[in-house]
Amino acid sequence: MSRRGLPVFLWALVVCSLLAHNVYLWIGERIHPDTDILALLPAERHDSALEQASVKMIDAGQQKLIALIGAPDWAEARRAADVYREILARHGDLFQLADQTGERMESDFLALFDRHREVLLTIADEAALHNQAAQFWIDKALAKLSSPFSGPNLGPWQDDPFGLFSSWVQARAQETPVRPRDERLFVSDARRDYVVIPINLRASAFSISGQQLALPILDRARQAAQNAVAQADVLEAGVVLHAASAGAQAQRELSIIGGGSLIGIVLLMGLAFHSLKPIALILLSIAVGCLGALSVSSLLFEKIHLITLVFGASLIGVAQDYGIYFLCQRFSANSETDSWKLLRRILPALILALVTTVIGYMGLALTPFPGLRQMAVFSVTGLIFGWLTVALWFPALARERASKALPLAERCAVGLMGWPHIRRNCATYLALVALAIFAAIGWSRLGAQDDIRSLHNPPKKLLNDQVKISELLDLPMPAQFFLLRSATPEILLEREETLTTRLESLVERKLITGYHALSNWVPSAQRQASRRLLLEKVLLSDDGALPALAKQIGEDRHWVAAMRARLLAPAAPLTVDQFRKAPASEPWRHLWLGKSADGYASVITLSGVSKAALGALSQAGDGLPGVQWVDKVGEISSVLGKYRYAMSWVLLLSYLAVYGLLYPRYGFAGWRALAPTALASILTLAVLGIMGQALELFHILALMLLLGIGVDYGIFFQEQGPVDDHAAWLSVALSASSTLLSFGLLALSKNPALRAFGLTMALGIITVCLIVPFFRKQ
Amino acid sequence: MRSCVWISAALTLLGAGPAAKIQSMLAKPKVLCGRFDQTKQLVGLKKPVKSTGRFCVVAEKGVLWRSERPFANTIKLTRDEIIQLQGERVTMRLDAKKEPTVRVINSVLFSLLAGDLDQLEKLFDIDGEVNHQSWRVTLKARAPALARAIGAITLDGAEYVKNIDIDEASGDRTRIVFSAIQTGDGAMTVDEAALF
Repeated sequence: MSRRGLPVFLWALVVCSLLAHNVYLWIGERIHPDTDILALLPAERHDSALEQASVKMIDAGQQKLIALIGAPDWAEARRAADVYREILARHGDLFQLADQTGERMESDFLALFDRHREVLLTIADEAALHNQAAQFWIDKALAKLSSPFSGPNLGPWQDDPFGLFSSWVQARAQETPVRPRDERLFVSDARRDYVVIPINLRASAFSISGQQLALPILDRARQAAQNAVAQADVLEAGVVLHAASAGAQAQRELSIIGGGSLIGIVLLMGLAFHSLKPIALILLSIAVGCLGALSVSSLLFEKIHLITLVFGASLIGVAQDYGIYFLCQRFSANSETDSWKLLRRILPALILALVTTVIGYMGLALTPFPGLRQMAVFSVTGLIFGWLTVALWFPALARERASKALPLAERCAVGLMGWPHIRRNCATYLALVALAIFAAIGWSRLGAQDDIRSLHNPPKKLLNDQVKISELLDLPMPAQFFLLRSATPEILLEREETLTTRLESLVERKLITGYHALSNWVPSAQRQASRRLLLEKVLLSDDGALPALAKQIGEDRHWVAAMRARLLAPAAPLTVDQFRKAPASEPWRHLWLGKSADGYASVITLSGVSKAALGALSQAGDGLPGVQWVDKVGEISSVLGKYRYAMSWVLLLSYLAVYGLLYPRYGFAGWRALAPTALASILTLAVLGIMGQALELFHILALMLLLGIGVDYGIFFQEQGPVDDHAAWLSVALSASSTLLSFGLLALSKNPALRAFGLTMALGIITVCLIVPFFRKQ
Repeated sequence: MRSCVWISAALTLLGAGPAAKIQSMLAKPKVLCGRFDQTKQLVGLKKPVKSTGRFCVVAEKGVLWRSERPFANTIKLTRDEIIQLQGERVTMRLDAKKEPTVRVINSVLFSLLAGDLDQLEKLFDIDGEVNHQSWRVTLKARAPALARAIGAITLDGAEYVKNIDIDEASGDRTRIVFSAIQTGDGAMTVDEAALF
């Protein structure tokens, strides 16, 4: 084999194995892209308990769907809900519905607590036992005796004469506003009564096939409920709805961006080269790039995310740059020049162009967001494979000069002749001043925003339903909670109790409406013991409330003794394990994370958190060992902010690094390759400011990539002798148009991060493209 | 459930059931006040616990229940809350926003005192007898949870409800006897009106 044939052959082997691997992936393994909306969020790798807590909190809801079916009248709501339920019940393989009897549950519900009633007190009653005189309790018992209806009746008067246990049960019941009613679950607001239908999804919420099966049935059920009762209000929430909508949106965008870019490139190439072969060659380099990106990414990552593919589709507009550059050079070189010699001549520029673009994508890889890292790896490998295809195959595949001249190239050259160079003259200075003023105006309007909404922005209907359901059910915040740790379960419960005492004051100040903690249900053994003592002292002792009460209702000391024995029956302490086995613990089991390598951990969640509460909450655990406030939303915002700031510096340093890379080849004049991109970045930010956009991490990341790609154009221009400028101009124009198309389409994405990225890139590429010719060699 | 179907079938055959007849006998004033004598026979207590006081039922507003002896205690039930007062001091407040069953409880008690059997029929199986002058019905909650909370209730009366008997599953029993019924604008005393 000839010396030149070897690389061609070796690359053919690589491409064949890529092809085989991809066939295996898509047909053999049937991989499907992941639609997990949380994939873009940072992961907690450094803290296993925290990660476990987050995962449990998220998993607790992942397979769950909740539907609320409401109507102004309870009977109507029930009718609509029955229709809805009936349709889901037909698909038992997809949806698991809870039994419609809440009744049996309720008697089982109290059995365990009934045996430990003496240690189950509300915080308010416990405080009253400390603070109030015996008369207070006598009055309370008498009031209970005289009133025909004093709240829920949980048994005979003699089991709970002071109403302590019934107020504890009531407090626990009030942790959720959902109540059993007519064998259904019921909540209401001022306008409607709702039937609550909890649903467990049997297929994974993130599997596209599961989503495609489940969603149409949910739609049908909703329609049927609304047909049955015209005024029915159907609210639904669940991870699967978000995942499905994000998935469907990503698939739509994938085909728009991918398809649009491909069609655009084919048309552009056809217009420029009037021949099919260059089109085929470019498509070949893109295809190899994409196959390589998919293969390598699937080897490096467990799952490929759909968002990666959407972003990856914009690769089409970048990976063709090298091929276009080579072909433009080929077409404008004279026919005697050997393709391999041509390659050797342009290789340094090609390498520089690749390295700078890779640097551009590195910005994404430096962030702690797994999704962004995956995008960076996907794009960089795609670029490298596309580039290698150009370097190893194109010289062999595009040997001879095209017979036809390139009319578009000629026109470009003519157009370029009128394009002024920058010189030290009045016009240049004036232009610079005008640009500086424009930039100053734009920049002064540029705010900053680091918000989780810049990562994920679900459709309005989903969001509204979610908000409404959270309000109706008074759901705890899934992303803001306390994480508690300790060596033993007992100490953990004691720590919870110390913290909940502080949270109680936030409830009083109306900063939060409530909190959910396992210690609400199972007091620490220490507290159980102290409560027994307290009861004995305040209520049951000889100078306590009970003997005085006996006098008032005409009972004797035998009665007092019998009541004492009844109310303070000896019992082993209630334990977490007992509670976790009881049916009543079902909604609260996720609060107890249990034993891990470094001890026990639990979670306290909050409901009705007002904005003003966040400061107080973040300090509520201060000074308490083993208590940590976790605010994922705040954390993500602060990570976004921190990285926006850090990446701005990385961007500036990258300019220096790129200048260093260019220096050996271009010397001091390397600034001519760099300046157009720098100017374009400044102007792009100014335009974003004038458009009223707030600066986000994703704008900065896009400017990193703009550096990587924009410098390529500068390099292509610096490589030319003044004579064949038109080849450079043509390749820059072609590259820029296709890149612009890809990122312009990305700017239409509904994902806010991708939209910010695409918009910045599109604006930047146009500007670079217009500025670059000013800086060409004279 | 089956007995309920059977009863409603029987009622349809008869043309009008006890509920409808009783409805026609009841006066249903806008404001109804009077005295009550309540006797509770509680498990574990030798003597019955007696209390007396005044009550008011105001259409579209709610119920006021004021024990005077042996112990002053006021309970006010409106659509959205239950409040218990000892003198001026609020000793208990249940908000419908936090405790949705408040609306159900209040509507049941209002209907009990007003004898609104149409409302009660939504939640209870009603069995009863009607003479030309008086009537008597037994209510059994259809939902087991409600049956546990309230037990069996017997009402009798004529133009107004006269007696209520509540037999709880726990064995505690309550009997309430109403007397000195007044209706109309003058029925409520000034301080009773002030409480609404």
